[in-house]
Amino acid sequence: MAEAKSYSFKSVGEKSTDYSARQQARIASPPIGIKTPIEIGTTDDGLLKMHRSIADQIKDNLRNLILTNRNERLAFPDFGADLAPLAFELGAEDADEEAMRRIKAAAEKYMPFISLEDFSLVNEISDTNSTALIKMLITYSVPTANITNQSLSLTMRFGG
Amino acid sequence: MAGDQQFRNARNRTYLARDFDAFRADLLRYSRTYFGDKIQDFSEASVGGLFLDMAATVADSMSFYMDHQFKELGWSTAIEIENISRMLQEAGVKTSGASPSSVTVTIYVEVPAKLVGENYVPDPDTLPRVLQNTILASSSGISFTTTEEVNFAEIDRLGNLRATYVVGDVNASNNPTSFILKRDVVCTSGNITTETFTIGSSPAPFFTLTLGNSDVSEILNVVDAEGNQYYEVQTLSQDTVFKTFPNLSSDSEEVPRSIEVISAPRRFATISAPATRTTSLQFGGGSALTTEDDAIPDPETLAIPLYGTTTLSRFSLDPNSLLQTKTLGVLPSSTTLSVTYRHGGGLNHNVASRTIRAVQLLRIQFPDATTSSVAALVRSSIDVKNDLPARGGDNAPSLEQLRSQIPSARNRQDRIVTREDLIARVYTLPSKLGRVYRTGIRPNPNNPLSSLLYICTKDNNGYLITATDTLKKNLRTYLNEFRLVSDAIDILDAKIINFRVRFSIIVNPNANKPLVLQNVINDLANILKVDNFQIDQPILISDIQSAIINNTGVLSLVDLKIENVSVTAQGRSYSVNSMNVNQSTVRGAVYGPPGSIFELKYPSYDIIGSAL
Repeated sequence: MAEAKSYSFKSVGEKSTDYSARQQARIASPPIGIKTPIEIGTTDDGLLKMHRSIADQIKDNLRNLILTNRNERLAFPDFGADLAPLAFELGAEDADEEAMRRIKAAAEKYMPFISLEDFSLVNEISDTNSTALIKMLITYSVPTANITNQSLSLTMRFGG
Repeated sequence: MAGDQQFRNARNRTYLARDFDAFRADLLRYSRTYFGDKIQDFSEASVGGLFLDMAATVADSMSFYMDHQFKELGWSTAIEIENISRMLQEAGVKTSGASPSSVTVTIYVEVPAKLVGENYVPDPDTLPRVLQNTILASSSGISFTTTEEVNFAEIDRLGNLRATYVVGDVNASNNPTSFILKRDVVCTSGNITTETFTIGSSPAPFFTLTLGNSDVSEILNVVDAEGNQYYEVQTLSQDTVFKTFPNLSSDSEEVPRSIEVISAPRRFATISAPATRTTSLQFGGGSALTTEDDAIPDPETLAIPLYGTTTLSRFSLDPNSLLQTKTLGVLPSSTTLSVTYRHGGGLNHNVASRTIRAVQLLRIQFPDATTSSVAALVRSSIDVKNDLPARGGDNAPSLEQLRSQIPSARNRQDRIVTREDLIARVYTLPSKLGRVYRTGIRPNPNNPLSSLLYICTKDNNGYLITATDTLKKNLRTYLNEFRLVSDAIDILDAKIINFRVRFSIIVNPNANKPLVLQNVINDLANILKVDNFQIDQPILISDIQSAIINNTGVLSLVDLKIENVSVTAQGRSYSVNSMNVNQSTVRGAVYGPPGSIFELKYPSYDIIGSAL
């Protein structure tokens, strides 16, 4: 019986053409920012997983901006849309307008290059009035980067 | 690439960032320079920006606290009360809370009259002594305590009562049946409290006792169960204190008390806490049994060991070791300490005149011959009144006020080195030991290590007189504690030179001649009053000329003469010292002999002017 051959995958290596193609791609789209939620990066990313697309990075930043409440961010107490206080009122017209005003104000200050377009939400409050589930959809564009028709879907849970 | 590398190496790091924005900008520049290929988004909304913000915040906080710590090292910038307290203590500033006020109160007492010879006088057998610490009260409820005994029976060297008195009641024959006597006494506001502290058999060395009341202005007495008195010292290393006793010499009127220096093995220092305005007493750490050893240094302890060698190198010497006062005072143990102190004060203690009218606690003693009925009568007659408002009361100093005392306190010293030190020390002689009015210092021409200290004082009428022997002795004892051992100070009487001024002026024909003349005399009296003269200060003739000429209505100064006047003139007594003014006038200034002071004794008579 012939002896079974055993190889290590390390020995197969990578074709130089594949390597150079990967390097070209890496150079063509360098890492822009850290992806959230933070994850350990792969070989190409480095320590943390990174966004390589401006559109992804902007979407990530906008999501973090909207999900942040006042005084949560170190050194920038007014950073964030501060939606938590409105969690149990969203759905009513006044509260929705206030939420949009807050998102718009935060975006104008911290992401002024974004053009907000549409806003829709669904608010589900539990029977005991102790938790609120808010689903939000925001569409926006970034004219300066030729990024259009972007949508951001957010799901927020708040405890009462 | 090589160029890029050189560019990176050439970037400067300034380390000048002090606040959040500057730190963030530095970090951003650093990240973009060295990690531009790893991450690019450092906007506030990004995670990269979040990391920069966190690092900048930490740096900002560290920078803030570093600045804060540096500021806390200096008296002018420190803000934390604990640090300011420590600096005050290190600088030797005695802090206290609210200050008490003081006021002179007149005590009136009515006593029976007695016929002595042909005159009725206050009956000596009924004259009381109002004792120290008698408590008076103002209408606003502020307590005032008498600081000394008021003896209505005290007589002067001529045998007259020191108290002034007027007739009280008269009988049908219009003879006095009683007299009302009055004497002044200085009172201090605040309350006097005695606290007792039980000290165990093995207290910790240098322990402290904190008094129960705040705003302590004075520690009056500290005594243990065995009757040993503890003396307050500035620091525990100070092993002697001044003690005063009544001056029984003939000059007791001018100098009521004399001083001596006594050893104070039982001593304490006070520590005040500005934050709580409380006062603590700190005691020493030594045993009472070793007190005598402490007082007598043994030179053997300083002998240099030369065992087996014939050479020795230079060595440093701690002069304090000569004193052998390592114990820094006796540590009281197995006893009870009674601490009597005065506390309280504030702006509301500055009561208005004639508001101290009540006697809260009368401490009074009568001669043995006084009957109880007379004593009761006299006691009930006592009345008090303050003709002047109380002054000196103040609220507790603010931190800013305390802080401002530090620089001047650091310049203070407990020894006489410079001429200014000596002058300042002479003027701080407590008034009970005699009041030096003016002092002047000259080098001793016969001894380079000695100085001549000229002093003079004032009599009851405000005229300059030579200092009494007791005052000079007190001053000698007092200065001796502060002078350097190699210095010598000869205390001499200043020569008092009395003078008068004659002048003639031409007055504007349209002016009121007598009025202009009187104005000139008033102005001269003002600039030539003795308060404006120091020892060895010349008379500047130009000052006198200027005062005359600058008067409205004076057209010209015709004649001006300064004359020495001595012994007596027209029934007025002057100093026995004389001088030749003409020979002593140099470049428009009249110089007196060395160690002299000019005095225009009777301005009403010694300024003689005529208007032409």
